Amino acid sequence: MKITLDWLRDHIDTPLDPATIGARLTMAGLELDALIRLDQGLEKVQVGVLESVEPHPNADRLTQCRVRVGEERLDIVCGAKNHRPGDKVAVARVGACLPNGMEIQLGKIRGVTSQGMLCSLKELGLATESDGVLILDPATPDGLPIAQALGKDEVVLELGVTPNRGDCLGVRGVARELAALTEQPLKPLPKTIVPITAPEALAQVVLEDTSGCPRYAGRVIRGVTIAPSPTWLKNRLEAVGLRAINNVVDITNYILLDLNHPLHAFDLDRLALPVVVRRAQEGETLRTLDGIDRTLTASMTVIADQQRILALAGIMGGEESGVTETTTDLFLEAAFFDPITTARTGRRLELVSESRHRFERGVDPQGIVSAMERATRMILDLAGGHAGPITLLDGFTWHPPEAILYRPERVNRMGGIELSPEAMNRFLTALGCRVTADPTDEHRFSVLPPSWRHDLKREEDLLEEIIRLHGYDRVPTALPRVPAAPPTPDPARRLAEKLRALLVGLGYQEAIDYAFVSPTVQRRFNATETPMALINPLSEEQSVLRTDLIAGLMESVSRNLNRGNGRLRLFEMGRVFLTQPDGSLLEQERLAGVITGPVEVSSAHASPRPMDFFDLKGDLESLLSTLTGTMPGFAAGGPAFLHPARCATITTGNGIALGWMGQLHPAEMEQLDLRKEILLFEIDLTHLPARPVSGSAESGASRFPAIQSDFTFLMPERTPAGAVIDAVLAVDPLIRRAQVTAIYTGSGVPEGHKSLTLSLLLQADDRTLTDIESKTLSEQVIVRVGEGFGATLR
Amino acid sequence: MLEELSALKAAALTELTQAASPAELETIRVKTLGKKGSLTQILRGLGQMNEADRTTLGAQANAFNEEFALTLTRRMEALKQQELTQRLTREWVDVTLPGRPRSPGTLHPVTRAQNEIIHLFTAMGFPPASGPEVESDWYNFEALNIPPDHPAREMHDTFYLPPAPDGRKRLLRTHTSPVQIRVMEGKQPPLRAIAPGKVFRCDSDITHTPMFHQVEGFLVDEGVHFGQLKGLLEAFLVQFFERPLPVRFRPSFFPFTEPSAEVDMGCLFCEGQGCRICKRTGWLEVLGCGLIHPNVLAHVGIDRERYTGFAFGMGVERLAMLKYGISDMRALFDNDIRFLDRHA
Repeated sequence: MKITLDWLRDHIDTPLDPATIGARLTMAGLELDALIRLDQGLEKVQVGVLESVEPHPNADRLTQCRVRVGEERLDIVCGAKNHRPGDKVAVARVGACLPNGMEIQLGKIRGVTSQGMLCSLKELGLATESDGVLILDPATPDGLPIAQALGKDEVVLELGVTPNRGDCLGVRGVARELAALTEQPLKPLPKTIVPITAPEALAQVVLEDTSGCPRYAGRVIRGVTIAPSPTWLKNRLEAVGLRAINNVVDITNYILLDLNHPLHAFDLDRLALPVVVRRAQEGETLRTLDGIDRTLTASMTVIADQQRILALAGIMGGEESGVTETTTDLFLEAAFFDPITTARTGRRLELVSESRHRFERGVDPQGIVSAMERATRMILDLAGGHAGPITLLDGFTWHPPEAILYRPERVNRMGGIELSPEAMNRFLTALGCRVTADPTDEHRFSVLPPSWRHDLKREEDLLEEIIRLHGYDRVPTALPRVPAAPPTPDPARRLAEKLRALLVGLGYQEAIDYAFVSPTVQRRFNATETPMALINPLSEEQSVLRTDLIAGLMESVSRNLNRGNGRLRLFEMGRVFLTQPDGSLLEQERLAGVITGPVEVSSAHASPRPMDFFDLKGDLESLLSTLTGTMPGFAAGGPAFLHPARCATITTGNGIALGWMGQLHPAEMEQLDLRKEILLFEIDLTHLPARPVSGSAESGASRFPAIQSDFTFLMPERTPAGAVIDAVLAVDPLIRRAQVTAIYTGSGVPEGHKSLTLSLLLQADDRTLTDIESKTLSEQVIVRVGEGFGATLR
Repeated sequence: MLEELSALKAAALTELTQAASPAELETIRVKTLGKKGSLTQILRGLGQMNEADRTTLGAQANAFNEEFALTLTRRMEALKQQELTQRLTREWVDVTLPGRPRSPGTLHPVTRAQNEIIHLFTAMGFPPASGPEVESDWYNFEALNIPPDHPAREMHDTFYLPPAPDGRKRLLRTHTSPVQIRVMEGKQPPLRAIAPGKVFRCDSDITHTPMFHQVEGFLVDEGVHFGQLKGLLEAFLVQFFERPLPVRFRPSFFPFTEPSAEVDMGCLFCEGQGCRICKRTGWLEVLGCGLIHPNVLAHVGIDRERYTGFAFGMGVERLAMLKYGISDMRALFDNDIRFLDRHA
């Protein structure tokens, strides 16, 4: 909310400069968002008197002027035609930097020295168009800064008002806050009671909806003249960002900003009295002042007359009943509309207004009549007319806010402060609370908050007020005593930490993508799951919750490749959202990764090969075996967007399904306009077993010598090496390791066959193996591979 | 015979000194001391000589033998040294040539900042906790003292999902504060936790992304007070930014805390002088906090008279950007590897 310093000073005589006021308010919870000087650019523009105006010796269209500014005399060349000797003008002096960016320099114009510039309203940034230089009122004192002469010397404070402090949405509320902070008195509001000069002009009102409108006041004012507002009023409204419209509308806006009381003025001639405050009927319509037709529901409070709906209570008036230039008689409304009803209606209609903003935060129900009187006074003064009596209807006997019992000792304990009860009570009193001793308990006080503070309901609220006024910065700091407790086991977090560390070690870079994706992209990578759609997405591209990580990660891959980052090792860890058959949503922790491009950056040392299936598989084997303590299993197969002959499903050593890996299908690459092979994987982390804590004292490394034994077999080409290895390892536990060290097809190997070299490691824990033992094992292996896979030893 | 021996000796020693390689030395050694070597034969012939000749010649032959062995060893060492020197010269590499490129992996800056935050609070006794990203209205709002139609809901631009099978509203959590409720419900103090996670708001511009990360922390126990909250967060900020920093607490409003505060720290970029990043205020807003609202404690069945608590929340992106000097928030979720490399 914006207020001007001048306006604030109507309510409080403060010696503080605007920056200090802003700082004090900020540290009390009304954050200064901006301090704006309206005279910016006008600092070096002053009022001057034209002493002489002579024709320019070298130019017909120019004049040579002598201007007196205070004690000084300046020679200025001017191109305008409307200035005469004796005129008061706006003089921009050398060094001025005008609002339009023009810098005034000492210079010669056609050979004649010019020590400044005579300004037009446009050059002063005060009008979009203007004719000739500005000629001021002859009474304007010369030498005066122009901003001051034009009433544009205001300083505007823009304050951030939190939702609990609706009472500070008016200048008086801010002044009240400043008064409490600086222990200075607030100027009393003049007791305005307007004489009733039109006693017969009754504001007839029927208050039906007492829950939506606990209190309503109306008044008729006859014989007003609608006209533009005087300059001071226009200036004030414009300074805080409101457009001036006409005197009556401006006055209601002025009271809204001044006293935080939204008022509404109806054109009495367009009403069929009495006015009724009621609930709308389902489906009734109203064209609001913004020109939009609104369809109402039975939960909305409206102001109606005998024929139609006039206004949405507390939110916006109707187009057909508002004040126009021809209005002569007014029906003026001031009310306390229920905050929740107002909020609900406003939200349902998506209608934001200054009025709604205030009513839904709660205005001062005790201030309605005085706001009405102040507005009436201003209307009579500026628009003329005769006021009728105020009709004030209370929906219920007004319950004063309930007294809060508070204990200074508890406030000290919770705040970590040591204030005397007297000091605390002084703060509360300064805020408008009535503090009385509790007769039943000497350590307790009873506090009655003022009617404008709807946010003060309990002891804790008073605690905040007390330490706020005392100053948060004056609360001594301490460190909490956090009781020791055994940590709750959190295997998922530990797993995530380990995975990240291992992946970084393997050269992967962590990516974070949005948890929502485009449905098209999601479908491409996961056709089986139906993703859950957001009701109010920001865009189609981010409209469904991801059902896998790879869809989002592939977007990051494409983005990188498009930017020329051709070598990628990316991973992401995060949750996917799976809709369950019963409609509930499962959040599952996943890990996905993508690699593409050369294995390493090429250099003088090598020109590296592109990464392939086995680079990714090696990474996954290393990752998963380190984590789980057992080698993962891979079997041919995988989702449809993978190359059917280069994809695998991944399981843990003991057969729990984890996910898949493989190369992106060539058809998908074409779809995505990708040229280089891309390897990708995704696994579910939920069932990834942790590496068991070792319960054995064995070191795992035998002291006895190992025997390496190599065999080269000839076997059908498509024989899976994994199966051969499994078979060999199953022969005897003394076979500690079986590795494929070479695969060869080509000359010397029959068509449809391959030569496969296996290297075995034979070792016992308790003895040195004998030649006979190793020979027997070798024979068993040859027989097993021969019989199992149709292989022959080469 | 003596002349023969001394000629032999002179020749052998000359040969030794002229030998160019260990192989040549070996040839000379065999020629002299091998089974059929010249010296060997002389020594073998000593047996047939008379006593006097044998003594004279024997002494000479032994002397020859010793000198030969010594010269051979020296020459061998010299040659080896020479060979080593040659090898070392031959094995020159251009040490200024860059090494074989390694591409280290990187953690995302948000993860790094989050890890650091968790680490610091864990060390101060707050165990990590987590909660779902899809939440109900109850956990995200109502239990946190944000009833329907409360103006504070406007502070949270919420993404909604179709209702759950039991009819409850479903939404993407707008903050990590629901974890507070989840940790507290059904338990009794002392309670505390630090809860990192993703949060979502339907808001997107230069300084807002619709998804970001927060860390929520809280403590509920007897005697917890506002001064402790100040002390804890000041300590955290100083540790996190690894430098002494002015920190100020400013009254604010959150529905789930009373009193509430925003925490500002002195601008890191201008030392409080005022710059573009701190909007000329000299301060950077980094945290929100307060004493847990009694309604929140009541919602989870904690005796609000006996216990008090504090809670705080921070945006991880904001802290990461300040700590690592990242200026564009949206770059964080672009995953451009040049960005990831730079901020590793």
